[in-house]
Amino acid sequence: MGRGAATQIRIGVVQEMSLITTLIAALVFPGLSFILTYSLYAQWIKRKAAARLQNRIGPLHTGWQGILQPLADFIKLLVKEDITPAEANKPVFNAAPLFIFALPLAATFLIPIQSITNLWAWDAVASFEGDLIMVLFLMSITVLAIFLAGWSSGNLFGAVGATRVAFMMLAYEIPLGLVAIGPAILARSLSISRIVDWQVASFNAFLTAPNIWGIVTAMVLFIGAVIYTVCLLAELEMKPFDMSEAETEIVHGWQVEYSGKKLALLNVGHDVKMVLAAALLTSLFLGGPAGPVLPPVVWFIVKTTFCVFIISNLSVLFARFRIDQLISGAWRYLVPLAVLQVMAVVAISGVI
Amino acid sequence: MSDRQFVIPIGPQHPALKEPTSFYFTVDGEVVVDVEPRIGYNHRGIEKAMEVRNYIQNLYITERVCGICSNAHQTAYTGAVEEAGGIEIPERAKYIRVLFHELERIHSHLLWVGVAAHEIGFDTMFYYVWRDRELVMDLLEEISGNRVNYAIPTVGGVRRDISKDNFPRWHKVLDALAERTNYYIKVASTEQTILDRAIGVGYLSKEDMIRLSGVGPNARCSGVPCDTRKTAPYLLYDEIPFEHIYVDNGDVLGQVLVRVLETLEAVKICKWVLDNIPEGEIAVKFNPMQKLPEGEAVYIVEAQRGELIHYTISDGRNMPYRHKIRAPTLGNIPSLVERLKGGYIADIPITLAGIDPCFSCTDRMVFYDEGKDRSWVWDEEQLRRYGLEWYKK
Repeated sequence: MGRGAATQIRIGVVQEMSLITTLIAALVFPGLSFILTYSLYAQWIKRKAAARLQNRIGPLHTGWQGILQPLADFIKLLVKEDITPAEANKPVFNAAPLFIFALPLAATFLIPIQSITNLWAWDAVASFEGDLIMVLFLMSITVLAIFLAGWSSGNLFGAVGATRVAFMMLAYEIPLGLVAIGPAILARSLSISRIVDWQVASFNAFLTAPNIWGIVTAMVLFIGAVIYTVCLLAELEMKPFDMSEAETEIVHGWQVEYSGKKLALLNVGHDVKMVLAAALLTSLFLGGPAGPVLPPVVWFIVKTTFCVFIISNLSVLFARFRIDQLISGAWRYLVPLAVLQVMAVVAISGVI
Repeated sequence: MSDRQFVIPIGPQHPALKEPTSFYFTVDGEVVVDVEPRIGYNHRGIEKAMEVRNYIQNLYITERVCGICSNAHQTAYTGAVEEAGGIEIPERAKYIRVLFHELERIHSHLLWVGVAAHEIGFDTMFYYVWRDRELVMDLLEEISGNRVNYAIPTVGGVRRDISKDNFPRWHKVLDALAERTNYYIKVASTEQTILDRAIGVGYLSKEDMIRLSGVGPNARCSGVPCDTRKTAPYLLYDEIPFEHIYVDNGDVLGQVLVRVLETLEAVKICKWVLDNIPEGEIAVKFNPMQKLPEGEAVYIVEAQRGELIHYTISDGRNMPYRHKIRAPTLGNIPSLVERLKGGYIADIPITLAGIDPCFSCTDRMVFYDEGKDRSWVWDEEQLRRYGLEWYKK
């Protein structure tokens, strides 16, 4: 892994790359089909965990312990009537769900999950120097698509929800980007795959020769992971940061006019976004798909399930904040903390 | 209205409102500048229906004025009729009426705490509170046979007796309720996200509250001591030892505190009733054909939402000449409008829910001519003719 490879784009497995393996990687595994199936499973984990914590049972009847309920909901929404309001800006209103679905999906292709030619290696569908920036960019663009979806719906509540989404972005975008830079500085690379490689290498180095700097690095990165999780909750519009869809205030905000197929796409888009968030958290802070004994994809599933569990845990613990409380809180605590964390990372990277 | 301001209509259908009513909010960004309430979507003709039914049939109509405070309506109705007819009810009946009055208060206040938690997006607390509310719902079902509309008070007493054998078990249930309520007091006063959404939200001072004549927990959270059970005791409330709860927070947190503290007091009252209930008859005989002497009576009870007034006029028949119900929500709407002004859009649901509104119980109808400043009410014949004309089209 020389630095000279910075501009070279790696697609799938580096060595012998045929068109067929690329297609399989992109469309079947670990690309489209796998991510879609996995995001429905993640939705089930989220619903089941939240339900148990809230003294409910959650989905139960479709499949084992209701594991097929997200799929059933998806199919049900597909056959429902699809209404476009007369007041809506139709091209934007119809196109927005596609973008909200496709952009996070594209971003998951850059996450290293599993190589399809080697069971014991991991690789992303596409990976190149700077794909971390690409993922952050795709996540920001998704917010723009959400804003357009709400704004073009021609509904007052949709417009209020859209402006709230934009305001929330002001709050969490900066700390989200800042803490993502931390692991990149330590790995001296902006490629997610390289960051994972660095984590594995330094973890193995720590195991063979334990030292104080390894522990300090882990603690600093842990603070980064906490900030990152809080920002991801806001990015995912989950409680306590769901003011953009707050059903008791603005009736699901920007989603209010969507129904049928478009709503189904929006829901799956949200699940894909949740998987992307969990996968990023795993790749940047938890060593990605690396782990002993089992193949990378199993470790990926175990670690991201854990992250989804943590996220759904956090989302049932609090009351919803007001939008002004989120923005002032983010700029008063999260941004300074993120800046300090990056400074600490820079200092550490000078030492190790 | 400047070009920065626009009007958001909330209602008649909106998830924050459980019943049809409408508010026009003039907002500047996220801040509410002005509020225009528009009530009167729900006409059920209950008062009119009561004029053609006898006093026993009317029991079941009054009970259905409201689903949550059904027993409070019946207590007030039977009280008014007994006062107009000069009927004395047995001591034991008074105790059972108080027991139901307070059990209903517990269930209503816990329900409100859950709804309030839901309005600020704290669904976990909503689920927990409503789970614990099942304790009192089961108790009510066990004693009366129903979870709502208990049909316990009747003219001349109560319809069902309670058995001493069950008292130890009921004491245990009440203890559990008190323990859970104490836990929710702790949660509501220490959990930071709740405090952020409750302190200073929808504030109204004591002076403003007296000027706008609010009633019930809505007024008591602004420091106005107006519990009818203390200021104008009815049934046994002059004998029962209990605290007069009022706090001077004036905001949503005050409303939460008043209601949870009142729940604790209600548990205490229920336990006192179980300890002190005398033996004896539960009702004196009252015949559906029995005529009441000419006269009128007002009976005021403290329903969960505030002062509830029943006013009945008898013209010597076995049915009322006129029965007027003033539900507490009507008295709380002026203060609600003041509370909403100057707040955020995000705080509208919790401020609205703060008065525990019950718009369907409140809505009445009169005709009003703005130009001539004249108002009138239709009598039965005019209503009938209007109905016939309407369906002819």
